[in-house]
Amino acid sequence: MKEKIERLLDTKRKIELGGGEKRIAKQHERGKLTARERINLLLDEGSFIEIDAFVKHRCTNFGMESTQAPGDGVVTGYGTVDGRLVFVYAQDFTVLGGSLGEMHANKICKVQEMAIKMGAPIVGINDSGGARIQEGVDALSGYGKIFYRNTMASGVIPQISAIMGPSAGGAVYSPALTDFIFMVDRTSQMFITGPQVIKAVTGEDVSQEELGGANTHNRVSGVAHFIDSSEEESIKRIRTLLSFLPSNNLETPPVYECKDDINRVEERLNELVPVNPNKPYDMKEIIKLIADDGYFFEVQPYYAENIIIGYIRLNGKTIGVVANQPRVLAGCLDINASDKAARFIRTCDAFNIPLLNLVDVPGFLPGTDQEYGGIIRHGAKMLYAYSEATVPKVTLIVRKAYGGAYLAMCSKDLGADQVFAWPNAEIAVMGPEGAANIIFKREIAESDDPIAKREEKIQEYRDAVANPYVAAERGFVDDVIVPSITRPRLISAFDMLEGKREVNPSKKHGNMPL
Amino acid sequence: MRKFIIKVNGNRYEVEVEEVTDGETTPERPASTIENKPAPEPSPKKVVEEKPKDEKEVVVSEGAEVVKAPMPGTILSVNVKEGDRVTSGQILVILEAMKMENEILAPRDGIVTSIAVSKGASVNTGDKLVIIE
Repeated sequence: MKEKIERLLDTKRKIELGGGEKRIAKQHERGKLTARERINLLLDEGSFIEIDAFVKHRCTNFGMESTQAPGDGVVTGYGTVDGRLVFVYAQDFTVLGGSLGEMHANKICKVQEMAIKMGAPIVGINDSGGARIQEGVDALSGYGKIFYRNTMASGVIPQISAIMGPSAGGAVYSPALTDFIFMVDRTSQMFITGPQVIKAVTGEDVSQEELGGANTHNRVSGVAHFIDSSEEESIKRIRTLLSFLPSNNLETPPVYECKDDINRVEERLNELVPVNPNKPYDMKEIIKLIADDGYFFEVQPYYAENIIIGYIRLNGKTIGVVANQPRVLAGCLDINASDKAARFIRTCDAFNIPLLNLVDVPGFLPGTDQEYGGIIRHGAKMLYAYSEATVPKVTLIVRKAYGGAYLAMCSKDLGADQVFAWPNAEIAVMGPEGAANIIFKREIAESDDPIAKREEKIQEYRDAVANPYVAAERGFVDDVIVPSITRPRLISAFDMLEGKREVNPSKKHGNMPL
Repeated sequence: MRKFIIKVNGNRYEVEVEEVTDGETTPERPASTIENKPAPEPSPKKVVEEKPKDEKEVVVSEGAEVVKAPMPGTILSVNVKEGDRVTSGQILVILEAMKMENEILAPRDGIVTSIAVSKGASVNTGDKLVIIE
């Protein structure tokens, strides 16, 4: 028996060494950690339990029968993060370049299925050269199986992808199907077709980093949600994100003890928004002044910066925030902002996270590129996502709320449970300048001094319509509040809404404009 | 095609003006620059569409960053001069658009090597504002 135990331990040691010390050293040289080091950083210390360590590939083509691949290039299993169960897989670049073959894929599928069954989040750490070419169509089938399970798990358990190396071709679609993508500056890349193919087909010269690096996907394409300068920081951020999310769609996010005063009166909020509606300010300051301990966990901070999304806690409970940013593009909604917000709203709704909408929006961004790009169908996503969401929805109109964009930011009519407005709010079908030009066109034209007349009419319109009281008189705004007491009022609203029960009509699934 | 040299706020611009006649449209520039030209208004100050020479002639050297207009609007003020050293996040230009005084910020530290607009100019999305090296 002793011998057998020795043999077992010896085999395990070999497997745990992955591609061997030389390749591990090479991985470290590149500023990358090994699969096991990443898992150990992610999970609570000593909590990792491996599954399928003995799995071997079954390929006999092209001399593969003699190729050893410990764990078949992927480490899978489960453990805990802050004491909560999390499933994990990490591709091992030191073993055949982390390439994906039949058994490699089967291992991933097994943990995916377990995660769905147990209702626990799954974190996939991607570091792979792509499909294992020798395995041909078996490798392709492997990707397909993973995509299928990603889709089945979608909206059931949080799925998080970390890109910590190359991810090219079909491999990118598994992360794309998940809820959040983390990338590391300079060491991770994602693209469908690599620089060589692009060069051959279109003649464009582009580096891997420029084409699909962390910066590209965080700032330009919006594919990724987070960028960090090191793997350690990235993994730490994954742990923080998990603290805001429930384990599955039937649970609510964990509640943390709130040390911040829930009745905190914040005088600074009375002064923060400039009186002149043409002056920008930083909406993030408002979010931080409202949140528990001033902590705001922003999602996609570098993409479509005209809209802000992320998580805060109010009285210890997770709240998803969607807010216009007047500092960027005047806070207009455009194609990218609509996509970014709509996806986030649905992520929150799927995981029972209440929504707080902070509105200061002058409208949709005008321009041919927006219209040709389909702002109509993209903007419609926001209307759809908000209308469909059954989680508590609280809207606070901070300043401007005009036209369709007012509706798109979750007005009463789209099902906001509570709508608050600050006293300087302007809620109207369009801005005073434009509206005065239309309503008083003749009067202005016939006046002796059209410019003065126009100014007078703009002011008249502003006084009559562009304020929160017209909407409040009709019940579109539940209350106009003093900015300083926003935090206690929001906490009270979300507490009141905690037992909210709302069921949409039964259907196979809706048909969201995509 | 006639060439003019125009000084706006101390910046010297070489401007080419082409007369457009009916039925004959051969724009030598991107259409946007033509559309940009404000229709003659009975306003006292006439906004002149200025461009620092030809598009191609603006040499953007390696490592230079072109700050472009994020949306169509009017330049309310230019807060930097050529040769100024700027730090990331510093306000370069105020662009009034959508009833908002949008602050166009320096994307990184550097030296302003060229300013393509001046106060009062109308810009379109993607127009060059400032080049930082």
